[in-house]
Amino acid sequence: MKIRAVQFAPALGDVERNLEFHLREIDRARRESVELIVFPELSLSGYHLKDIVYDISLTPQHAAFKEISRLSREIDVILGAPWEEPRGIIYNAGLCFSKGELSHRHLKVQLPTHGMFEERMIFKPGGEFRPFALSGHTAGMLVCREILFPIYAYLYYLQHTDLLIGISNSPQRNMAAGGFASLELWESMGYVYSQFFHQNYLFVNRVGFEEGIGFPGGSFFARAGAGIVQKAKYHDPDFLDCEADPADVRRARVSANYLRDEEPHVVLRELRRILHA
Amino acid sequence: MRELDYAGVEKVLVSFIRQSIHKAGLQRGIVGVSGGLDSAVVLALTQKAMGSEHTLGLFLPYRLTAAESAAHAEAICKKLAAPLEVIDISPQIDLYFSARPTTERVLLGNKCARERMSILYDYSARRQALVVGTSNKSELLVGYSTLWGDSAAAFHPLGDLYKTQVFALAERLDIPQEIRAKQPSADLWPGQTDEGEIGICYLELDEILFRLVDKRHTPQEIVAAGTPAATVEKVLRLIRQSQYKRTLPPIPKLQARTIGLDFRYLRDWDK
Repeated sequence: MKIRAVQFAPALGDVERNLEFHLREIDRARRESVELIVFPELSLSGYHLKDIVYDISLTPQHAAFKEISRLSREIDVILGAPWEEPRGIIYNAGLCFSKGELSHRHLKVQLPTHGMFEERMIFKPGGEFRPFALSGHTAGMLVCREILFPIYAYLYYLQHTDLLIGISNSPQRNMAAGGFASLELWESMGYVYSQFFHQNYLFVNRVGFEEGIGFPGGSFFARAGAGIVQKAKYHDPDFLDCEADPADVRRARVSANYLRDEEPHVVLRELRRILHA
Repeated sequence: MRELDYAGVEKVLVSFIRQSIHKAGLQRGIVGVSGGLDSAVVLALTQKAMGSEHTLGLFLPYRLTAAESAAHAEAICKKLAAPLEVIDISPQIDLYFSARPTTERVLLGNKCARERMSILYDYSARRQALVVGTSNKSELLVGYSTLWGDSAAAFHPLGDLYKTQVFALAERLDIPQEIRAKQPSADLWPGQTDEGEIGICYLELDEILFRLVDKRHTPQEIVAAGTPAATVEKVLRLIRQSQYKRTLPPIPKLQARTIGLDFRYLRDWDK
C-alpha cells in the first residue's frame, strides 16, 4: 500500500483554512495514486486549543467530514480533530475515512496534563484500542503520548495488526548537544515497534510554532523487522511517501516468532494478581 | 551547564522569529541595540530570519551611556548590513529629572529603560515592525530587568537560553570579539555590570538556575554538590521575589470567565 505522511503546520483554531489544505492534499495524493494519506494529530484544528476548543469542536455532522468522506471513495484518509459526540463531550480523535465514510475513530486514551500540556482540561479520554481494516491491512492507531506506552501497541499486536499509525503533535523540548532529546523518544519507539512487535509503523508529527512552542516534525516510516527506513525533514514541512507491505510483517514474524510465543494469558493472570493484591 | 546543539538552536530561533513576525501580518523586526551581547545576537538572528533590509537596529543612548557602546552598536549593524538609527534620549530624561531630582541610580536606569521601550513601540507602529526582545533566561529568572522597560517586547527569542549559552550562540553567529569579550552590563550608569548588580557571576548563577529550574534539583542537593548555602538561598529569593515580572497583572475574579484565569487562548488564535 502506498502511504503518504503529510508533515505540516495547522493554523490554530482555523478549521476552514486547515480543511482547505486537507482537501487539496487529499485530492493531489489521489491523483498521484497514493492509497492512504495520513495527517498529524489534531490536524484540522491545531494543538494548544484551550478555550478555542469549545468554539470549533467538530460533531459527526460537520460539513468537513462530508467532503472528506466523499474524497475517501478513492483514497483512505487518516486525520486528527477535536471530536464532539455526544453534545458537549469532546475527545482528541484520530479519524479514518475509507470507501466514502468514516470507517474508524480512535479516541485518545492518554491525555498529557502536566507542564505545558493541558489535554485533560478539555478532552475526555477514550477507552479502547480496536484495530480496523484498511485495504488488505489490519491497522491500529495511536495518538501521540499513547505511542510512548508500549502496552497499547501490544494490545493491537495481540489483535494481529500489521500496520501501526502514530499521529502526533509532539513539541520539541529537552535540547542537548545532540539536538532535541524529545525526537529520540519517538524514534526509539519506532525501533521497538518494528523490531519487537513486527509492525510496519508510520509516525506522523507536525511542524510550526504555536506561540513559543515549536513542533519538530521528524515523521518516519519503520519497516517490520528493519527499523526506521525513511525519515521526513526535521522542523520544516515535508511529505513522506512509503510502501507498507504485509509480506515484510510475515517475514519478520516467522524469523523471530515473537507473536507466536506471546503468552497473553500469563500477562492477564499476572495483571489480575497485581491489581487485586 | 548543559551543552546545546547550537546549529539547532539557531535554526529554531530564526524560524521562530520569522513565523512570529509573519503571523502578526508583518515583514520587519526592530531591535533595541545597546552595543551589548544579547541585542547583537538578537539582531543577528532577526537578520537571518527577515533579511538585512527588514531588520532595523535602534541605538538609544543616554548621556551616561559608555562611549564604546555606540561603537559596538554601529559595528554589529554594519556587519549585518542592518540599518541603524540613533536617538539620544538625554533631553527628555534630563527634563523629567530636572523637575523631580533623585540620587537613586535605579530610578534613572528604569526611566531610561522605559523611554527606550516607548520609542521602540513608536517605531514599531511607524515602521510596521515587531519589537524583538533581548531578555535571556538568566535575567528573566532572577528579575534583572525593568518591568515594562527592557522586558517589554513582542517576544523574547533568547528567553530559554542562559547567559552563558548566549555567549556560545554568539560565537557561532560570529558576533565581533570586542562585543563578546566585554563585561555584560545594562549600561544604565558608568561602571555598572550585571554580575556586580546581581552579586553572583553568570557562570555560577547559570549553574544554580539550570539545576534548580531545568533539572529540578532541590536546594539541598545543590548545596551538597558544593555551592554555598547562602548563594543558593539568594538565587531562590531572587526568583521568588521577581515572579510578578514574569506574569501579567492579576485581575480579581467577579464573573463567569475572567481574562487570564478561565478565558484562555494563545495569541496564535486563528494564526
